[in-house]
Amino acid sequence: MEIFLQQLVNGLTIGSIYALVALGYTMVYGVLKLINFAHGDLVALSAYVGLVIMMQLAGALSPAILIILTFLLTMAIIAIAGVILERAAYRPLRKAPRLSAVVSALGASMVIENGIMLIWGPMPRIFPASVVPNVNFDIHGVYISLMQVLVLIISFVLMVGLYFFVNKTKLGTAMRACAIDQDAARLMGIDVNRVIVTTFVIGSALGAVGGLFIGMYYRGIYFNMGWIYGLNAFVAAIIGGIGNIPGAMLGGLLLGVFNAFISGYLSSSWAMALTYVLLIVIMIFRPTGILGERVAEKV
Amino acid sequence: MNTKNIVYYGAFLLILSIIPFSLNSNWVSVMTTFLIYSVVSLSQDIVLGRAGMFDMGHAIFFGLGAYSSAILNMVFGWPIIATIPVAIILPTIASVLLAAPIIHLRGDYLLVTTIGFNIVFTQALKNNVFGITGGPNGIFGVEPLKLFGFSFSSQTSIYFLALFLLILTLIVIHNLETSKPGRALHYLNEDQLASECIGINTRFYRLYAFALSAAIAGLAGVVFTLQFSAVSPDAFNFIQSVLFFTIVLVGGPSSIPGVLLGTFFMFVVPEMFRQFAEARYLVFGIAMIVIMIFRPKGIWPAKFGRIPKYLIREE
Repeated sequence: MEIFLQQLVNGLTIGSIYALVALGYTMVYGVLKLINFAHGDLVALSAYVGLVIMMQLAGALSPAILIILTFLLTMAIIAIAGVILERAAYRPLRKAPRLSAVVSALGASMVIENGIMLIWGPMPRIFPASVVPNVNFDIHGVYISLMQVLVLIISFVLMVGLYFFVNKTKLGTAMRACAIDQDAARLMGIDVNRVIVTTFVIGSALGAVGGLFIGMYYRGIYFNMGWIYGLNAFVAAIIGGIGNIPGAMLGGLLLGVFNAFISGYLSSSWAMALTYVLLIVIMIFRPTGILGERVAEKV
Repeated sequence: MNTKNIVYYGAFLLILSIIPFSLNSNWVSVMTTFLIYSVVSLSQDIVLGRAGMFDMGHAIFFGLGAYSSAILNMVFGWPIIATIPVAIILPTIASVLLAAPIIHLRGDYLLVTTIGFNIVFTQALKNNVFGITGGPNGIFGVEPLKLFGFSFSSQTSIYFLALFLLILTLIVIHNLETSKPGRALHYLNEDQLASECIGINTRFYRLYAFALSAAIAGLAGVVFTLQFSAVSPDAFNFIQSVLFFTIVLVGGPSSIPGVLLGTFFMFVVPEMFRQFAEARYLVFGIAMIVIMIFRPKGIWPAKFGRIPKYLIREE
């Protein structure tokens, strides 16, 4: 039972990181019907940017302020990077055949990945160990670290915030309208470009939080990690039903827990393969993902 | 085929056949891989460009062909020539079995599922299933192909083997273009509903496209094994599938010269700039974006006869 709960906690932690990254995929897909292959590399970039900011500010500030400042600055920088990405690689192709935009996304992914390698070198970088104090809470034999608590709480708050933003605010409503029908939304007086830019800002900023969590939780970061984390998060978005925000959250958590149980009970060398077997099985039996049937509510 | 095309293809093949005598061995090796990748990309184009299915797992069939040839040779001691039929039939069967349950998925979902298949495939190879795939390092020391007492072991002989494979593929694709299945795939790609309404069995022709392209890719896999006398899982991973996928789209879907140009641009050009080792892929990514912005239908898009402009639906 303890092993089960321990794996559940680990799985939920990784799962909420996947969910944060998956939201970026799903929101862009909802509005543009485009798989943003460069999103994973933005996540990798955010880990590097965050590390640089942390190293520059370390020592001068108390840990709590350091972490908050790092998060805010990184989110801002990655949000700007996301807007530049949209402007340079996706906007010129909005009227082109859909597959051309996919190639453009793959090109953008190559640019970011190799840009990271040129700036920070091909060797892995290590996050400092002591940013978040290494405290473990022992709850009846199940260990939860402070880092895991932070990941779970912050992800939860961000996801709830996003849910309210999309469902309760004017801009969120505009976003849902664009997801359903861009032309009709434009006729209703919605500035579609602004909505798309907002989508990229929010998606990239959430991805930046995910990237920082990856850095702080696993500590080792490398220039091409965007592929692997991006792909996993993307699978999470698909499992939940791409274009669907609660679906991405659910898919992320499901994938994280599934992964943790496979690694814990079976073997970690098969974890990745079995993750994709799960994906294939879900695709065969529920072709639009678990929550994908609400096509009209795509965002 | 009209006279103009015969002249073009003749010149193209003539240039390809004098290449091994005018370049050093390093470049002959690059050009051999170019020929093999062209064949795989042409086969990917049958599924992606002609049938319009977003298949991002084409390296599976390439890899299945390569691995079945290598395993039958190294583990079971078959001569290479005897492994060729298996290396064609096995990927064909696999493609039908894999594609049948997912063939109805629309665009992006199909893409993701094929990515999934590819990752499961490479993971299985790395984890050494049945103890015959050689794990992460793959299989080394595959015998050369022996035919009528001649052994295809020199660099040049493998090059001409690959060239022969390319010519064979070009003939198959040319025949496909002018045949009933080829037209069916074209209609299917243009408008699925309309093609169903005029009596095309879309499900059958989709599987047909997968099977044909897997057979060609499997055969290309054998030549790939022969070129390096080895196979390894990383040669068939998901990144390779992305490469074949982009080659088709950058070059021009369902256009033979487009796909060949695409392979040249995506595979040979990066080799030319090897001295700029690290920066080249950055520039390359920018080039991909720029090409798509200025030529969204590929560098050399396909033209379908003399159709008046007003009849073509612009997307």
